[in-house]
Amino acid sequence: MNSTKDYKVIIIGAGPAGIGAAMKLYKSGVKSIAIIERNDRIGGIPSFYKKKKGGVRTFMRWSRGGYPVFGQDFAKWLEKLISDTNIEVKLDSQVLEIDAKGKTVTFVNSKDGKVNISSDAVIMASGSREENIAERKWLAGARPSRVMYTKQLLNLDRDDLLPIKKPLIIGSDTIAYAAAAKLKAAGASDPIIVDNRNTPTCPIHERLYFRFWTNPSFHGFNADTMEIKGKETATGVNVNGKHFDCDGIVISGELIPNSEMALVGNLKVNIPSRIPVINKDNQLSESGWYAAGNILGGFHGAEWCYFNGKRTADSVLKYISKSL
Amino acid sequence: MSKYGKLLYNSLNDNYDESLKFKDVAQLDDTPYDVAIVGAGIVGSALAYKLSKYKLKVLLIEKNYDVGEGTSKGSSAIIHTGFDAPVDTLESELVTKAALEWPELAEKLKVPFKNCEAIVIAIDEEQEKQLDKVYDKGIKNGVIDIQKLSADEVKKLEPNVSEKVRGGVLVPRESLADPFSSSTAFSEIALQNGTDIILGVEVTDVENKSEEIKSLVTACGKKIKTKRIVNVAGLGSEKFAKIYGGENFDTNPRRGQFLIFDKHSGFEISRIFLPIPTAKTKGVLVSPTIFGNLLAGPTAEDYPHSFEAISETTTEQLQLLKEGASKLYPKLNEQPVINIFAGVRSNCTQGSYWIRCNDNSPGILTVAGVRSTGFTSSPALAQYLIGKLHDELGLNLEENPDAIDSRPENKWPGWWKRRYDNKELVKENPDNGKVVCYCEQITKGDVIRHLDSPLKPRTLDSIKRRTRAQMGRCQGFDCMVNIAKIISDHCEIPLKEISKRGPGTEISSNLTSNN
Repeated sequence: MNSTKDYKVIIIGAGPAGIGAAMKLYKSGVKSIAIIERNDRIGGIPSFYKKKKGGVRTFMRWSRGGYPVFGQDFAKWLEKLISDTNIEVKLDSQVLEIDAKGKTVTFVNSKDGKVNISSDAVIMASGSREENIAERKWLAGARPSRVMYTKQLLNLDRDDLLPIKKPLIIGSDTIAYAAAAKLKAAGASDPIIVDNRNTPTCPIHERLYFRFWTNPSFHGFNADTMEIKGKETATGVNVNGKHFDCDGIVISGELIPNSEMALVGNLKVNIPSRIPVINKDNQLSESGWYAAGNILGGFHGAEWCYFNGKRTADSVLKYISKSL
Repeated sequence: MSKYGKLLYNSLNDNYDESLKFKDVAQLDDTPYDVAIVGAGIVGSALAYKLSKYKLKVLLIEKNYDVGEGTSKGSSAIIHTGFDAPVDTLESELVTKAALEWPELAEKLKVPFKNCEAIVIAIDEEQEKQLDKVYDKGIKNGVIDIQKLSADEVKKLEPNVSEKVRGGVLVPRESLADPFSSSTAFSEIALQNGTDIILGVEVTDVENKSEEIKSLVTACGKKIKTKRIVNVAGLGSEKFAKIYGGENFDTNPRRGQFLIFDKHSGFEISRIFLPIPTAKTKGVLVSPTIFGNLLAGPTAEDYPHSFEAISETTTEQLQLLKEGASKLYPKLNEQPVINIFAGVRSNCTQGSYWIRCNDNSPGILTVAGVRSTGFTSSPALAQYLIGKLHDELGLNLEENPDAIDSRPENKWPGWWKRRYDNKELVKENPDNGKVVCYCEQITKGDVIRHLDSPLKPRTLDSIKRRTRAQMGRCQGFDCMVNIAKIISDHCEIPLKEISKRGPGTEISSNLTSNN
């Protein structure tokens, strides 16, 4: 293969999937790896779940018998794995565009400015985010302050700031219940959870786990619309003629892949699900391009993503050896 | 060089810069203002900009905590040519005139502007019959560069238009622009030329309205002396006119909901798609935006003035809107929606551009009914109002040779001209390479530059409108708190006091978490 490439493999995202892929490649003899990460640290979403005394452990280590850990500890473990290698991790670096044919990635950071790097293969492990209000289609109404996504809540938690005393959570998956437990543990009242479905998305055994911290009331609806109310700050939601009171709203769960760069590079992506088109080897619509982790859609824990990254790395190894 | 005007904000939290707080009228000098402009929307800001080139003492006062925060922020962001305006009206005259002024003006203001053309599209036999009328009206309005198109010609220009297209009218000068940075640019230049700007202050009374020197009484109890008052308060103009006893008129807010679609999702239209207008509304259009997204809207929903939820979106209307818009561009249904919003047109029952000089009191100018065309018409309307101030309200206009009419090159928004494309600029200021808003690729440098800009914006929404940070597909999921932290660090305001749009909208209640 062409030796003028900057790296053997570029990985976009230093979350569990990206690190899983990097470690597998590294241990299999691929030493020339660059990971591009837009956050200021390794670990992805788990790194935002802060370790606190009396706090809630929301990540599971199934490989170690299924015990709960703090996200931050999971992220530290990933960081430790990388620190024992000479894999290059570019932190605080935002990918601006990709060239699928040339297998190049353009990114920017404050140290190097705008940079172009090339490789033999690229793995997109850029994770997912929560669907915004418009994307949920049944949410509408006012646009007051103190309506936040779970990630924003976690970001504020880094500064020990509890933004809501009487929370209402829209969405009912594990992320929602984890947010409820987190808010309660930090001093808020038991949250109200409302969702546009009859039963919570979060499985019963997980709900029982979170009962240790909070017992949120769940209100399920089958409604065409749910309206956010509040002039200055959020005061509640209206749904099917009912009003629920609050002093802040958390919009939770309903993950949607961060696949924009695939679109920018004209790789095939399903719209509106935003799930990139892949084959059985996690290869994208252009050869040499792969995906791993939550960018593939669905709702997966950190450990699943880590192992999925390893699986994708196997495909990349096959691809590289075939091309040689 | 002119002396900067004063910039004051009402009731800011303790930690804000002392120099920005409006504590006492003594902060303003004692001479009465020649003109006090009430309302800093696009019209008030444009008026301040145009007045600032004269030797005058001018005040721009606004109840919100930013300029352009009311009606002006929720528009389709199109600079119209006026081809479909009611013929022989002031509205038509001003829109047509302003459309010619905008390309050069945008260059001076350093606000993005893109001439993308529009096509009025007929999709059934009934509409096809209307095309001649649309064309004739355009010609009568002086928009002589419009052209009739056959169905094939429309398809050739826009291959993704509805298969049902029966013909169209091409309007070459219809353009895209950015209403947010336009209000800001007008006000910044006015401030620089000496106009005083007070934000977050509602005017609640006018004392001595029949005298030469009147007093504006503010909600915070302060009295400001002025010789003339211009009421350009948009949706608030009716309430304000009642305060000073102007001639009765009724504003009937007309809500317009919009859908914003993501960029990078392969939409394939390059011109504005306009439906055949009806007597009531221009109808639902589909348009690229200058920001690279796709927009569909607006709805036209009339409500009484007392309707509280006027700026709220509704699922039902948005669904109807999508169905309507996809008649022009069927592939719209495959596009991902990333944002919904409701704008409010300030319509006036007594007529559009309903303007009253010396409105039951000498020295008071009332401007109502500046509806959806207000963004386009603003520079021409401002000039027209200056004419009225001179002719009917006795304003003496002497040009100030030191006044500026443009902003420097570095005012181009970061999303329009990316600073990190130039390695030197990143070396000079590393923040220019630190992306904080991933979706719109806005840097920390962009945010800080705007915090330091003349109007000293301090709220999340004012930073959003200036930089586009938080306007992308994730709607602030990743960046909202990080931007709040930049504001907090740079301006030395505690994080919990950072607000969405001023006091009362802080992002956090006062509790500090203990775990």
